[in-house]
Amino acid sequence: MVFSSLIFLYAYLPLTLLCYYFVPQKLRNLVLFAFSLLFYGWGEPIYVVLMALSITTAYLFGFLIERYKPTNPKRAKTAMIASVAVNLSFLLFFKYYNFFAENLSLLPFVNVPVIDGLKLPIGISFYTFQIISYTVDVYRNDCRAQRNYVSFGTYVTLFPQLIAGPIVRYRDVDRALSERRETVDDFSAGVSRFCCGLAKKVLIGDMLAAGYEYYKTLAEFQPTALGAWMTIILYTLHLYYDFSGYSDMAIGLGRMLGFHFPENFNYPYVAKSITEFWRRWHISLSTWFREYVYIPLGGNRKGRLKTYRNLAVVWLLTGFWHGASWNFVLWGVYYLAILILEKAFFGRILEKIPSVFRHFYTMLLVTLGFLIFSFTDVATGWHCFCSLVGGGGAAWFSSVALYQLLRLLPLVLIAAVGATPLPRMLFERLTARFKWGQILIPVLSAAALLLTTAYLVDSTYSPFAYTQF
Amino acid sequence: MRKTINCATVILFLVLIFGFATAFLLSPDHDFSEEENRSLRTLPDFSWHKLANGSYSEQINDYFADQFPLRDLFVGVKGFSEIALGKGENNGVLLGENGQLATRLFDVKDADGDTVSDFDGFDDEHIRLGADGVNRAAKNSAVPFHVLFTGRTIDITASSFAYSNDLGQELMQALDGYLDPSVSRIETVDLLRQKHEDGEYVYYKTDHHWTTRGAYYAYVEVMRSFGMEEAVLPESAFAIQTVSEDFYGTAWSAGGMKFVSPDSVEFWLLGNESEFSVVADGRELSDFYSREYLTKKDKYSAFLDGTHDVVTIIKKGATDRPTLLLLKDSFANALAPFLAQHFDLVLLNLSSVRADFTNVAKQVEAYDADRVLLVYTIENIACDNKLKRLR
Repeated sequence: MVFSSLIFLYAYLPLTLLCYYFVPQKLRNLVLFAFSLLFYGWGEPIYVVLMALSITTAYLFGFLIERYKPTNPKRAKTAMIASVAVNLSFLLFFKYYNFFAENLSLLPFVNVPVIDGLKLPIGISFYTFQIISYTVDVYRNDCRAQRNYVSFGTYVTLFPQLIAGPIVRYRDVDRALSERRETVDDFSAGVSRFCCGLAKKVLIGDMLAAGYEYYKTLAEFQPTALGAWMTIILYTLHLYYDFSGYSDMAIGLGRMLGFHFPENFNYPYVAKSITEFWRRWHISLSTWFREYVYIPLGGNRKGRLKTYRNLAVVWLLTGFWHGASWNFVLWGVYYLAILILEKAFFGRILEKIPSVFRHFYTMLLVTLGFLIFSFTDVATGWHCFCSLVGGGGAAWFSSVALYQLLRLLPLVLIAAVGATPLPRMLFERLTARFKWGQILIPVLSAAALLLTTAYLVDSTYSPFAYTQF
Repeated sequence: MRKTINCATVILFLVLIFGFATAFLLSPDHDFSEEENRSLRTLPDFSWHKLANGSYSEQINDYFADQFPLRDLFVGVKGFSEIALGKGENNGVLLGENGQLATRLFDVKDADGDTVSDFDGFDDEHIRLGADGVNRAAKNSAVPFHVLFTGRTIDITASSFAYSNDLGQELMQALDGYLDPSVSRIETVDLLRQKHEDGEYVYYKTDHHWTTRGAYYAYVEVMRSFGMEEAVLPESAFAIQTVSEDFYGTAWSAGGMKFVSPDSVEFWLLGNESEFSVVADGRELSDFYSREYLTKKDKYSAFLDGTHDVVTIIKKGATDRPTLLLLKDSFANALAPFLAQHFDLVLLNLSSVRADFTNVAKQVEAYDADRVLLVYTIENIACDNKLKRLR
């Protein structure tokens, strides 16, 4: 199930809230666990079993780790590795098996059969990482093993962040799982956050996606430089609205239920360097990789060469995490190269030039990065890249490409301004000056919900771009 | 203050989600939407198998959208909001001067027969294969073979829009280029575009068809191409009757722009309509016109009773009239009453999903036709696979 669907908004959510607040505190995790499984099983009934298997292994190994940790560290480590290995193997198999099979079969004398119809379980990349964070946190004594199966199941399956994050580290919600207080203030903050995310996703993100799809189709028949630029600019904006809108909804829903999830985005498109961009984009994923890969490998404390090696490992994995396809690996390598350059010397040069150029530099690289990201077929991506500079037989522009640009211009401008902190600043200033400005919070939230409903009634098709990762 | 605002936010939100949920539960399901002219999704049957392969949840999603309370209002709000954002169109339907609507985006077919969704271009190879089919059919049929490609609203009413219809023009040129010069081509697109520019009402504003006046101009061109100019009935011979002034057509339904004004529908009557026998799929109709459709939404179906696979029209008691075989889509329905004054007609619905009339020579023989006229809209040329199967 996705948040931006009528069935979620007007059946699942009211029912869940009703049951959740109707039962006594003690039973609320059970309600959440049950409804989260329903949420997941709605689209992928078969894979509920797989998820239950993951949860149960990590739950049991959690005990072993905790038990052996003081007396037999070696055994504790073995248990930790076993738990991580089991869960990673599910991810590797379902997400990457066919990729490896196809690529290995390209070698002479090797023939690994491809499994037809092997479907990626939704959200497996996200929940596997959450489970790993639990196992490692217990191993590192950052938290106690969870005794209660329902509570642990709730952590993994919690529907707000189940299928597209933010990736919540176990220790961040450990306490909230057993003792959290739901308040009207939290609920209200959750409502406005959720409605804002819903509007970002449906009213802006999906509309940008439609424009992007059109340009992509047009390029097949009539490539133009203008069209190629519009393709990647629209995609870049779309991805931010789609994904950060999703995170807003997740965080908002979490607060309605008394949870405080970490922020996932911090206006990434105002960054002045790629290093800064990655501190603002998909924060929970970067944090995860830093915490569970980069630092365990030694981080930046073991000399320059090892730092670069560690960075290389992290960025190859980050790229590959986004999908089982070469373009994602390439995308990881692309950022690895830029980040190393910025670390080595370019970062210092950047600091000396006017910020307008730094913004331009960052957005240009981010946009080109998303070109690599968006074309799973590297050859088509290369073609689009050539079109950007008028190469590969592309014209500079065509009347239809221009028409589409003009008609999307207001939307693109709104989207561009909305990706900066400006609207928020203005709103805060308004409410600081005029008390009545607060009234806009319920009014705008309701308006966003109703307008989104209008768009959803008109078209039911509104999948998330990020959930298949 | 803060506390009040927070309570208000929560209460408003809960009232909305629970309110619509309750309204959804209580309101009865509808099977059909007049406004959209399509069947609505009703509650899907449950089966474990459907749940497992995900089709059950898809159907439930459609069910929710189709049966949602105040659906028409919401659809209108979305249409309005898109126009207010300066997009100039909604769901691929353009809004032009004087409330003129025109579909811009189509689900076109490529050379392999696969669908390219929401696109205003065309696949050149698909057009070439279609033209080949026409060339083949023209060669195989032993009688004179004429083609009339009707324009889409966007081709004809281009002057009402800021949108440039270059791709439409390119499509026509591509088609012309691939057609064998020996195929007799009846040109109406440029003619009707000119008429529209001159302010004549030749295409509906809210529907994708031509008006009766547009069809009349096409009739004149058809007769000219047949070498029967002198037999053409002048406009003055007809009593023009406006039979409806609130026709909201297909573009209106798809575009969701509820604020535009409706079309009017005309019948051009000669007074001898009762002398004809019209049989549609084996059922005798009273006339060329099925007036009961004028009280429904889909008023264009008043012409020849809407969509049928086979329609035959003869003049009672008349002998020696030549037979004209019309391979056609719905555009021919408004044209046929004019042609019936001169020919016995057999109309075969080429775009039918039930029947296959692509073997033209066989049909010519079966109906003993003296001439073939293919009436097909550019939309169908780009969007279906029928022409390339002609033989």
